[in-house]
Amino acid sequence: MNPIDLLANTWIWYALFGVVAALFFLRGRGRSLTSFAERSSGSPGARASAVGAVPPGREKLRSYLAFGFGGFFLMSVSLLVLRAVWALGNGEAAWSRVQASLQNPIYVIFHALAFVWLSWFVLRLFRLFPATQPRRIGPLRRPPDAVLVGGLSAAFVGVTLALAAILSGALG
Amino acid sequence: MRRMLLVLEPVIWLLFSAGMMVGGLLLPAWALVMGVAGPLGIAPAATSYDHVYALASHPLGRLVLLAAIALPLWGGAHHLRHVWLDFGGLRSDGLVGTLCYGVALLGSLAAIVAVARL
Repeated sequence: MNPIDLLANTWIWYALFGVVAALFFLRGRGRSLTSFAERSSGSPGARASAVGAVPPGREKLRSYLAFGFGGFFLMSVSLLVLRAVWALGNGEAAWSRVQASLQNPIYVIFHALAFVWLSWFVLRLFRLFPATQPRRIGPLRRPPDAVLVGGLSAAFVGVTLALAAILSGALG
Repeated sequence: MRRMLLVLEPVIWLLFSAGMMVGGLLLPAWALVMGVAGPLGIAPAATSYDHVYALASHPLGRLVLLAAIALPLWGGAHHLRHVWLDFGGLRSDGLVGTLCYGVALLGSLAAIVAVARL
């Protein structure tokens, strides 16, 4: 196995994801949201913002954790892109080997899950975006939040459709 | 090690925010076409060496691929590190942070070599 395959071997990441998910399940069982908030206050950022904070609601907590696990998909899919690009540079035989491995149903399911998770991830990120913006952007007043979120979401849909068309050979 | 991570925090945040944006915009389409539609035979061109090589070896294609590999690695690494912190992993933050950013650094260097070899 070449070093890139080793680095990009997402099975390692599947295992890591499984361990973290199991850890969450085991540590979360029987504990209240307050205890999670106390554990959360261990991080420097959380400590600074936790003064007087109330524990988040269960739905917000799930959403927050799901957003955090988006990092796993970002890293895994990036490593798979790296593996594919490395194989491209090695020639047609190496590319065919990678393509054959991607036909494994587990990879297909993983990619389908990654598509759904990352799409939700970026749309949630865009919903958070207005809160990070100043009242004025340069000389202009900042647009309403709905315009910012709607514009970014439309850009995501447009970029995804265009890239999908280019990669699948339907365009260009 | 934690002290070094704190010193590097502004740079890591820059890469993290760029990684979330670039990864969120580029990777869903890749996952859908190259990971689902291609292997299932819905988009046969996506598995064609000539088609993908022509796209990837174009200067713009190389730039997009480099961004699509390197930046999301940093975004994901920072996210996973903070998930770990949220589970109370402050004591092992130095180790976990180094591991996450180490993978991102290795992957970024490999990405530069990978696109240069095309």
